[in-house]
Amino acid sequence: MLSFPEEIVLLLLDETRGEFIPLPESVFAIVMSGAALMDLALHNRIDTDLEKMIVVDRTPLGDDILDDVLAGLGKANAKLDITDALYDVAVAAEAYRAKALKRLIAHGVLNEENGRFLWVFRTRRYPVIDNTEQQEVRARLRQVLLTDEIPDPRDVVLICLVDACALLGFVLSEDELDAVTPRVEQLRKMDLIGQAVTRAASETEAIIKFAATTM
Amino acid sequence: MEIKQERDGDVVIVRLSGRLDSSAASSAEERLGAALAGEPPRMAIDMSGLDYISSAGLRVLLVLAKKVQQQKGKVALGGLVDNVREVFAVSGFDSIFAIEPDSAAAVAAVR
Repeated sequence: MLSFPEEIVLLLLDETRGEFIPLPESVFAIVMSGAALMDLALHNRIDTDLEKMIVVDRTPLGDDILDDVLAGLGKANAKLDITDALYDVAVAAEAYRAKALKRLIAHGVLNEENGRFLWVFRTRRYPVIDNTEQQEVRARLRQVLLTDEIPDPRDVVLICLVDACALLGFVLSEDELDAVTPRVEQLRKMDLIGQAVTRAASETEAIIKFAATTM
Repeated sequence: MEIKQERDGDVVIVRLSGRLDSSAASSAEERLGAALAGEPPRMAIDMSGLDYISSAGLRVLLVLAKKVQQQKGKVALGGLVDNVREVFAVSGFDSIFAIEPDSAAAVAAVR
């Protein structure tokens, strides 16, 4: 099973072109950070409540991204602010994307192709070799969003991340998307780190839009 | 965290007390899963002694709710203290579970 940072990198790749779907870097950083923190929560390394996040177990997981994030979080049992932790981890998001890509290539999920655009600019594409995981995640999200099925904790995390990246349009048709809006709102509340990801991603997008309209 | 279990006819009553957090989550998940007896299972959870629940605790209840749904059973919670009720409201878990004022009402809701 892929880690959430790997999942989000994979879901952000356009399957046919092998290029990343456009997403503001700052939003990507928040989502990548949230993916790592929610993965640590599901591995019982951190726990949260309405006020704080606590590192409850510092035992490494043998995952270079998650272990790096875990090592960087405050002292054991120190009370951390979830949003602060989200922004702290987000600083290394690009490095985590590179690590996740390297792992996906090593696992035979992606290929790496280097080329040139106009004979000058270097380009890099990541065509998907094995899209089983992408297809399974999309099918799983459709099942949970379009029915009354109670999600498992992993489904909740994926919905938070995919929604924060505005990727639900790649999973559902426009009509379906309108119909499931209340369901998405219900499900993305169910993870407290996911709530912080949604808030931070929305605030970041609002700042970007404001900056674009006032320049 | 303490978990007590009793039976009232075809309803399993589970009484939780203390803190349901990451340190208690694993054993709580195991015990609640094992308490899902009957076809379909009917479970009332008395939460009046539970004074704290974290995200790890919420996940335990989510997994339980999913199992109950898969087995076409019923589960209801009763007697939530104010801070636990607030966690349920903020996280939307109050839309997943039937939440009753007390244990007796939770038993009646799943019967």
